[in-house]
Amino acid sequence: MSDFSLQATSRTPAIHLNTADMTLVISGESYPEDVRQFYTTINEQLAVYFTTKPERLDVAIKLTYFNSGSARALMELLDQLDEAAEKGVKIIVNWYCDPDDDITREFAEDIAADIRATSVNILDLDGDPD
Amino acid sequence: MEFERFFKFSQLLLRDEFVLSYSGYVSEDILEAVGDTLRQRLENHARDGRQIRNVFSIFVELMQNIIRYGVDGPQPGPADSEKPSFGIVMVSENNGTMDVIAGNFVSNDEAAMLQQKMAFLRDKTREELRGLYRQQLRDTPDGRSKGASLGLIEIARRSTLPINFEFTRTSDDLSFFMIRATV
Repeated sequence: MSDFSLQATSRTPAIHLNTADMTLVISGESYPEDVRQFYTTINEQLAVYFTTKPERLDVAIKLTYFNSGSARALMELLDQLDEAAEKGVKIIVNWYCDPDDDITREFAEDIAADIRATSVNILDLDGDPD
Repeated sequence: MEFERFFKFSQLLLRDEFVLSYSGYVSEDILEAVGDTLRQRLENHARDGRQIRNVFSIFVELMQNIIRYGVDGPQPGPADSEKPSFGIVMVSENNGTMDVIAGNFVSNDEAAMLQQKMAFLRDKTREELRGLYRQQLRDTPDGRSKGASLGLIEIARRSTLPINFEFTRTSDDLSFFMIRATV
């Protein structure tokens, strides 16, 4: 499959799925007018990616703000990744949170506790060179 | 509108340290436009990035709450097939803390349900709210489920004081719902 990219808008994050590097980066802000529609596109692209029997996927989440609707969509995305991980794809999620945003960090921790086969590292957003 | 009424209205608005207020029909476009303005204002008014994030986050959830659950007010609205939601949102500053207040009309049936949800959330601790949020994430995606909606829990989590609310019945069909969060 070819790479999949969406540029960030004021209400939607940038999405970069690089199939050669086996990386997915989600960065920016997320409070789309139609959350379901936006995230369904990503879910579909990931589903296609996983049909290519990839060895791994390194995921970076660098969201500076997301609303509660996006929180649910992110949980579903992580569930999808975890299903692939249970089938043998090596998946690592690096979740970058703003150090002074306790609630987002707690959300990442709670999501990490609910999934089984994926390793989730919670990191400081400022500490990343990107 | 008479100048006298208009003057009273302006005086009310100028009394406190207002960061921003919006009243009228609320749509996703309005949410975006007013949200952008709010962020610019917060750069000048807020203590730090944390306060900006929490105020903005509460604002977004309140506006989306109005879009989802609000109804047209008693005044005749545009003749569109889809009834718009009428609402008021206000952000004011008071000695370093910020109040985010929203008001909108809801049907009396909706008011009864909301009242229960709000009373349930008001006295919850931080950790309890975190647990509720986690539980609700895995629950039915419909905000009208019996549990408090994710958006309301988000507001409660980002408010430093317990959220306050009040309902005023305005007619046989409608109530005015007011909610205040403080950051």
